[in-house]
Amino acid sequence: MAIIEVEHLTKEYRLGQIQGLKTAFLNAGRRLLGHPTEERLPFKALDDVSFSIEQGEVVGIIGHNGAGKSTLLKMLAGITTPTSGSVKVDGRIAPLIEVGAGFVPDFTGRENVYLNGSILGLSKKEIDRKFDEIVDFAEMSQFIDTPVKRYSSGMQVKLAFAVATSIESEILIVDEVLAVGDLAFQRKCFDRMEDLIKRQEKTVLLVSHNIRQVERLCSRVILMNHGRTMMDGTPKAVCNVFYEESDRQIAIQKTGPGRLQTTGEAEIIDIYCTRFDGTRTDAIEFGQPIRIVAKIEATKPLISPLFVVGIHTTDFIYLTTTTSSDNYRHMTLPPGPHEIALNIDRFPLLPNVYSIRLSIDVETPIKNVLYGENLHHFTVRSSGLQRSGSNCEGFFPFEKCTWTLDQVAGDLPPRPASSLTG
Amino acid sequence: MHAVAANLIRYRELMATLAWKNIALRYKQAYLGIAWAILKPVSLMLIFTLVKSFVGIKSGNIPYPILTFAALMPWTFFQESASDGVNSVVGNTALIKKIYFPREIFPITAVLTKLVELGINFIILAGMMVWYEMMPGIYILWVPVIIAYTVLATLTVAFAGAAVNVYYRDVGQALPVLLSLLMYASPVIYPLELVKEKLLVHQAAGDWSHALYTLYTLNPLAGIIDAFQSVVLRNQAPDLMSMTPGAVTIAVLLPLSYLYFKRAESYFADVI
Repeated sequence: MAIIEVEHLTKEYRLGQIQGLKTAFLNAGRRLLGHPTEERLPFKALDDVSFSIEQGEVVGIIGHNGAGKSTLLKMLAGITTPTSGSVKVDGRIAPLIEVGAGFVPDFTGRENVYLNGSILGLSKKEIDRKFDEIVDFAEMSQFIDTPVKRYSSGMQVKLAFAVATSIESEILIVDEVLAVGDLAFQRKCFDRMEDLIKRQEKTVLLVSHNIRQVERLCSRVILMNHGRTMMDGTPKAVCNVFYEESDRQIAIQKTGPGRLQTTGEAEIIDIYCTRFDGTRTDAIEFGQPIRIVAKIEATKPLISPLFVVGIHTTDFIYLTTTTSSDNYRHMTLPPGPHEIALNIDRFPLLPNVYSIRLSIDVETPIKNVLYGENLHHFTVRSSGLQRSGSNCEGFFPFEKCTWTLDQVAGDLPPRPASSLTG
Repeated sequence: MHAVAANLIRYRELMATLAWKNIALRYKQAYLGIAWAILKPVSLMLIFTLVKSFVGIKSGNIPYPILTFAALMPWTFFQESASDGVNSVVGNTALIKKIYFPREIFPITAVLTKLVELGINFIILAGMMVWYEMMPGIYILWVPVIIAYTVLATLTVAFAGAAVNVYYRDVGQALPVLLSLLMYASPVIYPLELVKEKLLVHQAAGDWSHALYTLYTLNPLAGIIDAFQSVVLRNQAPDLMSMTPGAVTIAVLLPLSYLYFKRAESYFADVI
């Protein structure tokens, strides 16, 4: 039996500000006279969304910003009502929508645990029973009688998370809360979530931008886009589509260069990628040839130039650097346009979105005349590799390597008692 | 009606916790603590007593300070809980946007919080009665009824006010002004006896006198304050005649106010 049933759910918001009294009166007058009124434009945050969730399912909801994920969760938690359609929820819901809502800065940690607990629907007895466990989990026993306003923000969030996850409810709604605290605490939160999900068999709805987390925790994923459900299926399949979607997003974003410095002796006219036959492309097949072309304009003679082309991820991890080393050091480029091309026979990087950086040095001792990052985005695809599969993690596979597997004779050396998991 | 009561019972612990929060929060970093609760009625009583010595207000056989204090107790309770109630929804934006529980909890809790302060004022009243050597009679048993009635009057203002305040913050701004005007239209500084005498005995407004008196008592506070003074100080039953118009007002407006609140409630999170 479905524990959550959502049918044709639509939520409209009005864009712009609430009308002032004057507009409200004017509109009332216009309506009486049958004139058209000044209406604010409607915006569909959710558009005809339907799905149902069975008891014990762990459903991830992913999508870009503004896709309607949080609106959907708010609707399920009863915080706002649908414009049309219906939501049926059969059981107690614990909303972990932004932990720490309702913390009072002037109260001590202890008082806030009680306050927050009862706001989330725990009775005083239940809180009494769980108090020590909550404080232990949050690692707060030393500070529990200090006002929360003296806590660091990380401490507040830890305490809030501990309270929120101590609720016993059939349905747990989690909105991007796992990214709290320091790394060690994040690990702990993740374990607790996993415990709630796997061992206590709760129905969980998880909204996150951390796709790996969603893939790992969920048994089913719903991809939202502009208020509609774009896809609903297994984590692997849906996350794949999402990766492709966001790769495309990044690639078409016309972000300016992250950093571009020039002395004025050379300017970039254009940077792009082509196939070896010269046709431009921004989608490269993994392992195929590619040419990176940079058109520059020299305003002064460039004496013994040295070109450097590198590739980095969209979050600026430098992956490759290739220099023209001594190839052109004996030359002097006259002022005017020039075209530099780097030909790569087999592009080695795994499917993802990458960007190009370029540097031009001249003379001896070396002087930098131009340096730019994030100059051009391109996508690497693969028909043979799944974007969310484990063979696509990291940046490149080893070109040449071999495996061996042997039976080892004799006793194995003793193992350490604990081993890292995950 | 049944659903309202069921919710009240289901969320009683939450309401108690939130009321405790309001009280604790108000006096947390204050040296005088809960003593501030009595400051307002006591200081107003002193001022009114001073003013009275210039203008001369007849207070019958009851000393003016205690008469006006007994008026200020229900009045201050009404005034403060109505304005806290109206601001209660907007003041809890963080909760409204994150967690669902019936929203009427907020105005109701605001009113409950002020009940505690009213209770503290009873201690002052008792002290004054000892000072003036006044013995409460059997009619003091009316007090809980009168207070319950005052709570209903307060909620009438709080529900509708809180809901409108979400859309138009003007309400929160206008309310203090309106309430201080209402104080002069209620028998706080002067006893209801004076109004009664002027209008009903002397017929000061001619043929309109009775109508005017009914209009005056449409304000439930008129009946409430007079009844409170009667049962505590005069050892008389409340004057039901002057309470009826106000009671009718409440009986009509409270359900409307509540229904409006419940209708607006589902959009609070979107608009607030």
